[in-house]
Amino acid sequence: MGPLIPNGIIPPEWDFVIALLIGIIFGYVLEASGFSSSRKLAGVFYGYDFVVLKVFFTAAVVAVIGIYYLDYLGFIDISKLYIHPTYLWAAIVGGIVMGLGFILGGFCPGTSLCAVAIGKIDAMAYGVGILIGVFIFSEFFSFIQPLFDGSNYGAITLVDTLGISPYWFIFLFSLVAIIAFVISDLVRKKVKKIFY
Amino acid sequence: MSKTYKYKKIIIRRRYRILAAILIILSGGLVLLPKYQKNVGIKPETFLLNLMSPERYISTDFLANSLISKDPSILLIDVRSAKEYSDFSLPNATNIPLSTILKPDNETYLDQDGYKVIFYSNDNFFADQAWLIAKRFGYNNIFVLKGGLNAWFNTILNPEMPKTSDSELEFQKYNTRKAAAMFFGIGAVNTLNSNAATPNIAPKKIILTKTKKKTTGGGC
Repeated sequence: MGPLIPNGIIPPEWDFVIALLIGIIFGYVLEASGFSSSRKLAGVFYGYDFVVLKVFFTAAVVAVIGIYYLDYLGFIDISKLYIHPTYLWAAIVGGIVMGLGFILGGFCPGTSLCAVAIGKIDAMAYGVGILIGVFIFSEFFSFIQPLFDGSNYGAITLVDTLGISPYWFIFLFSLVAIIAFVISDLVRKKVKKIFY
Repeated sequence: MSKTYKYKKIIIRRRYRILAAILIILSGGLVLLPKYQKNVGIKPETFLLNLMSPERYISTDFLANSLISKDPSILLIDVRSAKEYSDFSLPNATNIPLSTILKPDNETYLDQDGYKVIFYSNDNFFADQAWLIAKRFGYNNIFVLKGGLNAWFNTILNPEMPKTSDSELEFQKYNTRKAAAMFFGIGAVNTLNSNAATPNIAPKKIILTKTKKKTTGGGC
């Protein structure tokens, strides 16, 4: 049956409508769980609040378990899902830039827009920074292009690279997630509490 | 610490443990579930229904009409060998021998929505096999020339004269077929012999570009 759009069950013309609806819900959930506070987001780097780690790890684990159950029951064809191609060095450099920006600014791009929506001034400055970054990237694109297009490994996944069964990988991944949650909780208890 | 705070803490801790247990049970379930081989393509029931239906057959008269009116939507696929193809083939046909039909290059011809793909061989035997393979993958718009080239020869190029007792309709059909035979380069009807040279027009090669489909573009 699924995925719904590639199989023509939902026509692609609805993409924007669906994107808008999902965006509104996503923004609401981000705001409601306190992700529009840069102090909360940056807490993961200082060890006083691990909610970012917990939320994203939980989202990944729940999504991967759900998708594989749907695939097992025949509701979704995993082979038709989009896998973003791996550009190894571009991903490493981009990850470092993104991480630095995360520590310095206290937002990731999505949460910064969320915070702009509730009127945070630091988030507005962050938004302007994103635009400046986009401008610099575009202007220097011909210099960056070898890195941007280079070391393309195609749409590979960890399961292909490691050659293990996806089901075992998911099981181990869930265990790692739970261990990470426990350890992060222990760290949080050790670190001085910060009120924000 | 007040009593209610302690109580709440215990409840929350228990909730975390339950959630962690659910995660482990669900992901462990994936490991333990019995695995089965997933097949690509359409369901066996649909395949059988398609198999029973004669809708896949296209008559030689229909094909002749389409070729004469230069219908741009038909794509003729010759599933015979390359030698047989070079000896004789229908106008603008593309040669994909049955043994190479599963080559990835050929997927472009078979898996598309723009053309009516018509398979033919000498009879409809090999064309039917090609049709089965293609249908199994769930490709749409694929057809088989009923009777193949033999039927093409017997009905279009060298039509049989109707009996005098036959209906008017049969005679009209015969005349149409004679006219079609002239169109396809057989000079005067009834004087057909095997040495009659068919005009050697270079076949117009239909080249399809591979369009990526059925994957979602996406990203963060």
